[in-house]
Amino acid sequence: MDADLSQSLAELRPALLKIARLQLRNDTWAEDVVSETLIAALEGAGKFAGQSQLKTWVVGILKHKIIDHFRRAAREVSADAQVEAAEVETFDELYLPGGHRIDPPLDWGDPEDALSRTQFFEILQLCVDRLPVNLGRVFMMREWLEFETAQICKELAITSTNCFVMLFRARMRLRECLESNWFGKVQSG
Amino acid sequence: MIKRLTRITCRQAHVLLSERMDRPLSPLGRYRLYLHLKACDLCSRVDRQFDLMRRAMRRLGE
Repeated sequence: MDADLSQSLAELRPALLKIARLQLRNDTWAEDVVSETLIAALEGAGKFAGQSQLKTWVVGILKHKIIDHFRRAAREVSADAQVEAAEVETFDELYLPGGHRIDPPLDWGDPEDALSRTQFFEILQLCVDRLPVNLGRVFMMREWLEFETAQICKELAITSTNCFVMLFRARMRLRECLESNWFGKVQSG
Repeated sequence: MIKRLTRITCRQAHVLLSERMDRPLSPLGRYRLYLHLKACDLCSRVDRQFDLMRRAMRRLGE
């Protein structure tokens, strides 16, 4: 059973690394938290009762390990995050002077359809990866780790205004990216 | 007069849609967004898109 488990865990490693990189944006840190996660999963195998998917359980452990990592070491991102939030880039190029969109947003169709496709999640990861480093970190903290914005501000030592602005920018960029790389393509055949 | 107070652009609506995902809006913000979404199908689309993005992000890696 343990041999099976360590085999299954080893197979999850690349997927875990990918997602840890999206959150941490640092290969060494990502390797570290994924190793810690796999060790914890092996040690805690008794707690995995098999009622959920193995991957779901391991991703849960990964989230905790990443949060631990923030507690220990992520202070150094704060200065960068402030600079990035202060950048003047307001998506004005996407809007006409009256505040209307130049390219109207597409109809994305049935959400369940996208959510049921593995390729959709690959494109999603790609689009998150394309976000500027600090926007990506903040966005992942909010939407993947499900931190409250107050926690994010505290962890990264940024003001709440910066936090809301960064999340807005991340969402708009991600929206554009998904539209050009997934929904636009699905719709046009 | 009232119209001027309550009317927002699509851009402002997108900012409020995003903010609403992170904290409760002020009553005025809520009212402005409500009026805007009632009249603007395209921003209602963005609202649904943000919602889908959130659901997808929570499942990332699973």
